[in-house]
Amino acid sequence: MLRRVSILFRRNRWLQAGALTGLWWCCQWLAQALALPVPGGVVGMVVLLGLLLSGRLPASWIHRGTTGFLDHMVLFFVPAFMALMNHHELLGLVGLKMLGVILGSTLVVMVGTALVVELCMRGRRDHAL
Amino acid sequence: MRSELLPVVWAAVTVGLYLLAHRLHRHHARLWTSPLLLTWACCFALALALHASYRNYLRGTHWLLALLGPATMAFAMPIFEQRQLIRRHWPVLLAGVLTGSTLGFGSSWLFARWLGLSTGQCLSMLPRSVTTPFALDFARKVGGTPELTATCVVVTGLLGASLGQWLVSWLPLRSAFARGALFGMGAHTVGTAKARELGELEGSVAGLTMVLAGLCCLLAAPVLVWLR
Repeated sequence: MLRRVSILFRRNRWLQAGALTGLWWCCQWLAQALALPVPGGVVGMVVLLGLLLSGRLPASWIHRGTTGFLDHMVLFFVPAFMALMNHHELLGLVGLKMLGVILGSTLVVMVGTALVVELCMRGRRDHAL
Repeated sequence: MRSELLPVVWAAVTVGLYLLAHRLHRHHARLWTSPLLLTWACCFALALALHASYRNYLRGTHWLLALLGPATMAFAMPIFEQRQLIRRHWPVLLAGVLTGSTLGFGSSWLFARWLGLSTGQCLSMLPRSVTTPFALDFARKVGGTPELTATCVVVTGLLGASLGQWLVSWLPLRSAFARGALFGMGAHTVGTAKARELGELEGSVAGLTMVLAGLCCLLAAPVLVWLR
């Protein structure tokens, strides 16, 4: 019986997604009850990572569920985006300014990060030799 | 005149359009067929045509927004799968993420101030290079507008992915780590997808950088609230 449940669980991503949602709900409650500064999702991530690393939870038990959530994450953003219905100011100059900020800042972040990592990797390689 | 759809109908419309867009994107992968863009554009056009209100829309779809919680939790899996990479190269990853986060926050704030945007708008733009669930939490905590943040995040992803492709061929980067970190830090999810096209190592590093940057952003939120 237990074996059959385990096989069913390992194959069904909906069951896994449901279990993950249940775990998230518990973590959300915990985060609120303890007044933690981080949201329930992050508490859940730490709990889940702990379970996986300690080997108590085999990765195959939730692999399909987590992949499903990550693959379809953009669906959950749509309601957040619809809030733009209440923001007409973006259509004018403010929107253009924001676009400028995004372009400039992205350029700075990308060049800076890539150069630091590149230098670190070169340093490590020289060190290893 | 307002003709409101039932909240349940809005939920069905959103999910249905998403499934269609997802299928279209699989057969015809272009920037404009990105499921988020397409689903949003269709829903938005429909809402405008019906003169619908956002409150009514949200009444039907707030459960979708809540699912961002479990989605955040699911990031435990990529971290777990890349644990060897983290164990071997954590100082480099940390250096990259800290540099990228500082530059991201700092340059967004400076540029936005320089162009004369309001404090609320500046705060909403701060977490724009972080993946959406983390960025939304940040915006709520620090006092930005979550929907503005979400827009900035997605525009960053789309612009960053194209900008990154050009930068990678232009900068003298020898290591796959640097190329991956560039995409993961600068263009989060969209960048990670692009980095995966360059190579498996680039993709893994980009994904890890993205998650770590999100965590870094969440840790920075209480500090910023305290500073204000």
